[in-house]
Amino acid sequence: MYVARWHSIAPVLVLLLNLTAQAQPALSLQERLAAAAPGDTLRVVGGLHPGPLRITKPVVLLGVDAPVIDGQGRGTVVTIEAPDVVLRGFVIRNSGRSLDREDAGIAVYADRVTIADNRLENVLFGIYLRRADSCRILHNTIEGDPSLDTPRRGDLIRLWYSNDVLIEGNRMRHGRDVVIWFARGIVLRDNTIQFGRYGLHFMYSDSALIERNRMLDNSVGAYLMYSTRLTFRQNLLAYNRHASAIGVGLKDMDEVTVEENVLVDNQIGIFIDNSPRAIDAQIRYRGNAVAYNDIGVQALQDAPRSTFEDNSFLENYEQIDLVGGGRFSEANGTFWRRNYWSDYRGYDADRDGYGDVPYQTVALFDALTDRTPAFRLFAFSPAVQALELAARAFPVLRPEPKLTDPAPRMRPRLPEGLPAVHQPMRPPLALAGLALLLMGLWTMGRSHLHRLY
Amino acid sequence: MTTTTRATIGLLARKELHDALRNRWFVLYTVIFAVLSLALSWIGLAGGQLYGLAGFGRTTASLINLIMLIVPLMGLTLGALSLAMEREQGTLLYVLAQPVVPAEVLLGKLLGLATALTTALSIGFGLSGLLLAWRGSTMGLGAYLGLFGLTILLALLSLSLGLLFSSALPRTATALGSALFAWLLLVFLGDLGLLGSALVLRIPVEQLFTLSLLNPLQVFKIAAILLLRSDLQVLGPAGQYAMHTYGMRLLPLSVGVLLLWSLLPLLPAYLFFRRRGAL
Repeated sequence: MYVARWHSIAPVLVLLLNLTAQAQPALSLQERLAAAAPGDTLRVVGGLHPGPLRITKPVVLLGVDAPVIDGQGRGTVVTIEAPDVVLRGFVIRNSGRSLDREDAGIAVYADRVTIADNRLENVLFGIYLRRADSCRILHNTIEGDPSLDTPRRGDLIRLWYSNDVLIEGNRMRHGRDVVIWFARGIVLRDNTIQFGRYGLHFMYSDSALIERNRMLDNSVGAYLMYSTRLTFRQNLLAYNRHASAIGVGLKDMDEVTVEENVLVDNQIGIFIDNSPRAIDAQIRYRGNAVAYNDIGVQALQDAPRSTFEDNSFLENYEQIDLVGGGRFSEANGTFWRRNYWSDYRGYDADRDGYGDVPYQTVALFDALTDRTPAFRLFAFSPAVQALELAARAFPVLRPEPKLTDPAPRMRPRLPEGLPAVHQPMRPPLALAGLALLLMGLWTMGRSHLHRLY
Repeated sequence: MTTTTRATIGLLARKELHDALRNRWFVLYTVIFAVLSLALSWIGLAGGQLYGLAGFGRTTASLINLIMLIVPLMGLTLGALSLAMEREQGTLLYVLAQPVVPAEVLLGKLLGLATALTTALSIGFGLSGLLLAWRGSTMGLGAYLGLFGLTILLALLSLSLGLLFSSALPRTATALGSALFAWLLLVFLGDLGLLGSALVLRIPVEQLFTLSLLNPLQVFKIAAILLLRSDLQVLGPAGQYAMHTYGMRLLPLSVGVLLLWSLLPLLPAYLFFRRRGAL
């Protein structure tokens, strides 16, 4: 069921579905699509196929040996306008560069489309879903253009009024955001998002599940805005560091569960801005590991109706920051319970695993920087250490505690399945250390043993 | 520089090194620095090792804090003691009676003490380096050696300051007292004073940053953080301002400032010493 036609110009032969031993006359992908019936499966084996490509009937496009669809820098490379299309195993590259026209690697305008195992390179937007429900985006690799400034890049994945979409196992780098607009019931799982602006950006999208994703080296790991009933669990958010960078940020969010995430080495671990917003909404932060951030948790205002339970706050330079000073109040429904605090100085006499004296933040310097962030310049100075010591010794100087955790954990509790970061032995460092040590000892010994002349 | 001058300086430096290594203060500093840096590296790694997480936490900060606390104390006291003590004991008179010029004596002292300090620091750094390598740390070789170099610069600049006190002030007690006061000023009072003034006068970020650079310890801190992080985000708005204005040029700049601090006090020290001699 195909029309044979010689392409005198096209240098690459397209091998066909019913391929036997010999090469077949070349037929462009678009022509093969035109010839296919709805429900057909088209196998495309290798080769370079000039785009752009439009898919207007429900077919399965199966790429074998990574066939390339090249958009040649004009517009969107693959446009899918029929439901139930499957696009699997292709390399899609070189979209246009217009942010206005939103040039993308793959644009989808239909429901139940599956995009799997593709590799998108040098595209402005990656995968763009418009009013496309129940689609699945699985195991794709999307590479943006790292030479562009982040605001000039497109979004790696963009959903627009597309409900019940599953986004799983994708690896995405060098884009702007992965952004979800006005979409219900999204599931995002096992994705890796790196070197972007907002790793994940949620706008007005309710009832989502976000789990086991890794957002690394972005300006903001995940920014969740104006949505409700969201579960954010077991994600790894690390090394998100730029001006005002955040691991996970909540802005005007309601009914959120943030649990068992690992937030490491971000500028701010968890950022809370007017969440919850609704008068009866709750937010739960449970079992997260918040470690080595400049600020563990920053709340722009008070965080009412929020519970912080069983989290582990490890070695953040400032554990909790309430911008503008003040304190979290249990009267407003902010509860800190059974968290682990690496700066806890209490004891556990009855050995039940929980401290017998409450944890209270008494850092004078934190109180200073909460009010005047510029003073952070003096962080890591011995003078500040002396100030803290003075605040501990003389209660006159002690600021009012920002929060009280009545019975903090004695040992941290870390989420299971934490991706272990194994640090290998470091032979060069060992050699350098040994050399320095021997040098010091040799000089010392020589001067001690030998007489001067 | 003639061969005799070089030989003289070398001899004096060796003598100084020899004396310093037998100085109880020096031995005490060496042991304290080695033990504390080892302990801090251990604590810092304990977290990283257990949980597969690591970063620039409070422990890394305390390592920098330790250096900023102890190294200036070592340099200042050793420098302050060197000329003044010999002057009081009368040995300086004996040295100056030999065919040497003051510059040779001063340079010899500087070289000898600098070597002694480097020895002490390399033992402490060597031990913690071995520990870091064994337990697997995120610190790279470049950052490690860079921090070592910066620390030597810090030792050098406090040493020249100490030598200045030693040559200018007649008695050991006054020289040592001034050195300790200078240490207090550099380590605590300077920053606290600036913090206090900024609190009262509402100094803008740019000026706060510039003013803080008057303190060589802050310069050291900034260079160290740049080295470990290649970024000053951890220092908040002032750090962002500095990165925005100077970028990574800040590292060579601050190294230059530290060098200047180590060289500048030597000139008045030399002038004082030439005038005062063994008296």
